[in-house]
Amino acid sequence: MIKTLASRIWAFFKSFQLTIVLLALLMLLVVFCTLAQVELGTAGAVNAYMRSFFVWHQFSFLSFPVPTFPGGGLVGLMLTLNLIAKTLDIQRSWAKAGMWLVHAGLVILFAGEFVAGLMQVDTNMSIEVGQTVNYVQSYKNMELAVIDTTDPTWDEVYSVPDTLLSKGGTIAIPGTPITLNVKRYFPNAELSNLGAGGQPSGATAGIGPNVAIVERPTVTNDNEMNMGSVLVEPIAGGHSYGIWLASMALGAPQSFTHEGHTYSLSMRLRRQYLPYSFTLKQFRHDVYPGTDIPKNFSSLVQVVNPSQKESREVLIYMNQPLRYEGKTFYQASFGKNDTLSVLSVVENPGWLLPYVSCVLVSLGLLVHFAIVLRRSLKRRQDKKEG
Amino acid sequence: MTFVQKYLAWGAGVLALLIALIFALPGGKVRGFDAAGFGNIPILDGGRVKPLDSLARNSLLVIHSRQGFRYEGRTIGPDEWLLDVMFRPQVADQQPIFVIDDPDVIGLIGAKQTKNRNYFSFADLSSHLEEIQKQAQNAQPIAPQKRTRFQSAIVNLFDRAYLYYKLRNTLQLAGSPGLGWELQSISDAEASARHQELMQFAAFRILPPLPGGNPDAWKNVGEGLRAMASGQGVHPALVPLARLNAAYAANDPASFNQALADMNGVVSTLKPGALSHANNEVVFNRAQPFFVGLSIYFVAFMVLCISWIYKPDLLRPTAYSLLFAGAIVHTLGLAARIILQGRPPVTNLYSSAVFVGWGAVILGLIVERMYRKGFGTAVAAAAGFASLIVAQNLGTEGDTMEMMRAVLDSNFWLATHVVTITIGYSGTFLAGAIAIGYAIRKHIVTKVDPETDKALVDMAYGIICFALFFSFVGTVLGGIWADQSWGRFWGWDPKENGALMIVLWNAIILHARWAGYVRERGTMVMAIFGNVITACSWFGVNMLGVGLHSYGFMDQAFYALTGFIISQLVFMAICYAPARFWVEKPHGKA
Repeated sequence: MIKTLASRIWAFFKSFQLTIVLLALLMLLVVFCTLAQVELGTAGAVNAYMRSFFVWHQFSFLSFPVPTFPGGGLVGLMLTLNLIAKTLDIQRSWAKAGMWLVHAGLVILFAGEFVAGLMQVDTNMSIEVGQTVNYVQSYKNMELAVIDTTDPTWDEVYSVPDTLLSKGGTIAIPGTPITLNVKRYFPNAELSNLGAGGQPSGATAGIGPNVAIVERPTVTNDNEMNMGSVLVEPIAGGHSYGIWLASMALGAPQSFTHEGHTYSLSMRLRRQYLPYSFTLKQFRHDVYPGTDIPKNFSSLVQVVNPSQKESREVLIYMNQPLRYEGKTFYQASFGKNDTLSVLSVVENPGWLLPYVSCVLVSLGLLVHFAIVLRRSLKRRQDKKEG
Repeated sequence: MTFVQKYLAWGAGVLALLIALIFALPGGKVRGFDAAGFGNIPILDGGRVKPLDSLARNSLLVIHSRQGFRYEGRTIGPDEWLLDVMFRPQVADQQPIFVIDDPDVIGLIGAKQTKNRNYFSFADLSSHLEEIQKQAQNAQPIAPQKRTRFQSAIVNLFDRAYLYYKLRNTLQLAGSPGLGWELQSISDAEASARHQELMQFAAFRILPPLPGGNPDAWKNVGEGLRAMASGQGVHPALVPLARLNAAYAANDPASFNQALADMNGVVSTLKPGALSHANNEVVFNRAQPFFVGLSIYFVAFMVLCISWIYKPDLLRPTAYSLLFAGAIVHTLGLAARIILQGRPPVTNLYSSAVFVGWGAVILGLIVERMYRKGFGTAVAAAAGFASLIVAQNLGTEGDTMEMMRAVLDSNFWLATHVVTITIGYSGTFLAGAIAIGYAIRKHIVTKVDPETDKALVDMAYGIICFALFFSFVGTVLGGIWADQSWGRFWGWDPKENGALMIVLWNAIILHARWAGYVRERGTMVMAIFGNVITACSWFGVNMLGVGLHSYGFMDQAFYALTGFIISQLVFMAICYAPARFWVEKPHGKA
């Protein structure tokens, strides 16, 4: 009984039917994902279709989303199992050595995409000429930064990620006497000056009382930003400092003072601080003579890493990124009249896997073709002799 | 095949090559003027040094959709046209070269649309320029995808009229006495304003860099005059240019040709090599290898079709030799582009179409050598013809040898990733073309011939294997390029997805066949669908206008693509029509 069940499962996973159905599903997913990018932006569409186990859809007559299609994660997982079963099932003979290599290579390719899907982190770093930056920031995720600015030479930064803010409740800031009471979190909101008849934000301190706030649906398009906003009440030593409005839409940070320490509050893109820093020494934007067609962008950066006792110049330019401490920094954008350089930063621990896969598959195809060629030459020879 | 037939067949191929050669020969003088020599003068435009001839052809192509036109019983070529625009605007303004198809735009300029009159001269437009500009400025802020038909048409007309206007005011201000007069009145009261105007409208830079300066610092006439007015001396090319201008306006061929020789002397002293590089490009322009190639492919295809009903022993090899001749012309054209540009063959959408056709033709030639049934020739000629037609239509938007934008500026990856993936496109299209041939043949051939059917399926199968290999390797190489330059192997960007679709589809066909789910006909139907996938991946993703790869949005192409997809679906239906529709038809009825 158990044996038949096991052999059935085995037969299911190694079947060609499964391969074809999965490849077809993957094709459909790729089509959906590509078309969805027009609306959702690349990151949004990839998360919805590829980096998920199911594609969810919210029907208007239901209060919860339902899975409507297998997502890239599920199809990829099944395809990997199918591939492994198939690879194990391929006759273990020299004649099939090529196919073995090809399919093993494909398994690694899929594994690479899984690792990327689960662990790849995309951030960026904007530096103006002459500026030194020791953090990368997220494209979309936000945080509430509470900064102790008392010491003019040193900022003590405490940050609360948006995911924690959206849960609400009270958040104690470690290392300080402050507790934040989150009154309301808006993932996206539109702010305006409070006019007659406007909806007051509910803030009682700082700039907030003069601002009207309206909640907006969140956006995922590459070109749009969520204006995350939060109403918080800092409490320290049993004393409330009023309700403050912090928002991506507000420029300058607002601050309050508690027992001689000045704390500033601001909403900003989530930062990850690095144990090293980059100083932009020069940014170049070359064009072809007599045109606006860009020929090259490059950033000359001084990398300073105290823990490695390292300080060196690096030129980051088109098709020539810097790989440093597990991160890849590449020239992505520019601004402020060519004085601001934007480096995109990717961290993917599985970046080597596609290379391994590529070598295996190419080798496998070569071996297979060689075997097939030898066989057909032999057949031709036999025909001549026979 | 008899000896005579063999010679006749190869003779046809040689004849085609001779005709191609005639195209490359320089034309005679125009009314005594060495217009071709004028077209040879190097200029800096669009970031590269090119002959005036290229600028003339591309501008005329943009404005008129052709590289020449008939006027007053004569054919006016691009060089003569440019001479007229720049030196005799009063003549050029009367020539009806602006093509306008949109009825609303025609209505706007006050002419009634008639069957023959979609061509307007600059003089016809000139009284409506302000209105055209106003309407175009209203439409310009709207994204190209979202413009109405009228808005697209008016923006397009404005761009063409503006290009014409710029050409008119590049070497002399239209309506002024000419460049010689500018040189004499260098310090009069309005001179500075005129120089400013010449600088603003200059369509190109014709004054070569002076010794000791930046080697890329070509100047336009306005800049040259300004430098002269500020006491930096006369640029040595300005004097012969002024003489060219005066001689052409005064209809004096002898002085014109003499001034041209002097101009060439100045250019070769200031920028050695530019003249001969320009000359090579002019030969390439004149030869029009892709136009000649597509004409030869067309003839080859026709000859082959005739061979199925008339004198197959003579006509089939003739078609093959014509295809061979077409492939030689096509290859030479491709090689010339590689040399002129110093780049691998595929650099933009236009050149990808040229290369896809080339790949399909070469594959078809090989298939024909292996099977010798005429099918390889037929599909190769059809595929070569079709892709070069596509290329001709893609090439009407200006210079096809434009400079590469920063991220694409990598000859290594252009040569590996882009070329392999384009070969994958070629293979998938060729397999699809064979499948279409198979489907049509099933319906029109009366006798059952399983051997030929099997040969066709074998061809398609072999080519799909080939296409899978190249598209897979090309896609992975693309991933590696992305990892090398952006730090990520795969980002599900539309262009990457398009390439992946081709890999997946070819993999599905092969697995379905290995597993025995599809046989002859199923494989062929799937191969035809490969055409749809490849076309969508090639052009469709550019229409979405998202992602890092999207280079150029095309609106008219959308309709062409839709039409192509529908036609392929029809072919799939034809191929899949049940057996009673296509085998064992009674004789005499078919």
